[in-house]
Amino acid sequence: MARCLRGRLRHGSVMLALWLPLLAAAAGAHVPEPTGFWMGPTRGPVATTVKGGKVIHTRKLAALLKADDVMVVDVSDAPKRPDPMAPGAVWLPVPHRVIPGGVWIPGAGLGAIPPAIDKLFRERLAMGTHQDPTHELVIYCHKSCWLSWNAAKRAISYGYKSVYWFPDGMEGWRGAGLPTVVAEPQVALP
Amino acid sequence: MGVTRTLLLALVMSTVAALGHAAVANADDSQAAMKAHAAQDEAERAARWKDLQHEIFGARFLGDGAGVIQIAAPEHALDAALVPVTLTMKAAQPIKGVYLVIDNNPAPLASHFTFGPRADPRILKLRVRVNMYTYMHAVAETVDGKLFVAQQFIKTSGGCSAPVGSDDAAAMKDMGLMKLHILGNFAAGKPVQAQLMIRHPNFNGMQMDQITRTFTPPRFIRSIDASYDGEAVFHLDSDISLSTDPVITFGFVPDKKGTMQLVVRDSKDVSFHHSFDVPAA
Repeated sequence: MARCLRGRLRHGSVMLALWLPLLAAAAGAHVPEPTGFWMGPTRGPVATTVKGGKVIHTRKLAALLKADDVMVVDVSDAPKRPDPMAPGAVWLPVPHRVIPGGVWIPGAGLGAIPPAIDKLFRERLAMGTHQDPTHELVIYCHKSCWLSWNAAKRAISYGYKSVYWFPDGMEGWRGAGLPTVVAEPQVALP
Repeated sequence: MGVTRTLLLALVMSTVAALGHAAVANADDSQAAMKAHAAQDEAERAARWKDLQHEIFGARFLGDGAGVIQIAAPEHALDAALVPVTLTMKAAQPIKGVYLVIDNNPAPLASHFTFGPRADPRILKLRVRVNMYTYMHAVAETVDGKLFVAQQFIKTSGGCSAPVGSDDAAAMKDMGLMKLHILGNFAAGKPVQAQLMIRHPNFNGMQMDQITRTFTPPRFIRSIDASYDGEAVFHLDSDISLSTDPVITFGFVPDKKGTMQLVVRDSKDVSFHHSFDVPAA
């Protein structure tokens, strides 16, 4: 039995070997843009570009938001209470903070998007951009998170012409001491 | 004391508000704004801990943990799904139990250890998932019912949704297998540390199968019981914050050669039982 487990644990190191390219990427190597949506783990080193869109960093974004009417979309995950949690167990997600004016659409950055969320994302974008495909659009989630990259790519595929991807995410924004507000998630109706 | 704290908090909050207003008048990216928002973050974190404290400990007073309990974890953990935490306890009064709270996790009470007569409650090591930048609080409870708290700030995020291995089938394989290492030399009557490794995916329902692209249903360890020749070493109430394939280091005092018995129960009400000879045969 113990030997069997040792085999499993060794399997762990094989897994680690598979992750080495990502670790190398973390050390500063270039992560190329995937051709389609990113289907791997959502957290990890991300690409530095998004085809058809622009990359924007914290200071420039703060200036852009001051100067222009821009739609801001946060595509971070929303925590979900696991059903089997004991009834009395403490479940207290932190209130979700977004860039002021931001719209929170969890799920819009999944590699494979459920139809209901795709519809919701399209609707919210149309509303926030006043149906103007040239309206500026900023999409973010967290630092080193592919969800915003996928969502930016998706918005570009919908035909939006001024899509900014903000890879610094909420960590970069808060780290620069910029303000945030609490938001509720936009959810698809069944 | 409670009143002093409330007053202090009010003072901090109003200072923050004042700084916030001042910042609006000046340039947003000024140093003053940075400081104001940093202070606001700290005030928010303090308020969060106050809420959690109330939720978990009610009106009980939490004393300063200095000299009683220490928490150590890397400030910038490489893997948010595998953050190693070391708790070190030292108290005039023996320790009855230890709580680990990860403030900003959605299920903040990550674990509650209760020690039995065979425990050496001076050290605990475990690995946890951290969802976002957060304080971690370790609270020791002494046998006379007093609580002592230590804290550390952790800058890592994304631990809740980080996938478990290549796919669910691989993660579930050999579920419930355990391994126990005695660290150091066994001597009857002397405290010794042991490292327990458990194969269990500890799915929290927020992870996605990397092949089917669907969210994996939650299945996590609810409790672990360790006993030595029938006498309790520890009981752990755990939750979704425990990492996949948990590794727990603990101390115990074997009075003689014997058997360590382990019972792990998960959220599907499945129990896994293992026994290990100490020292290993």
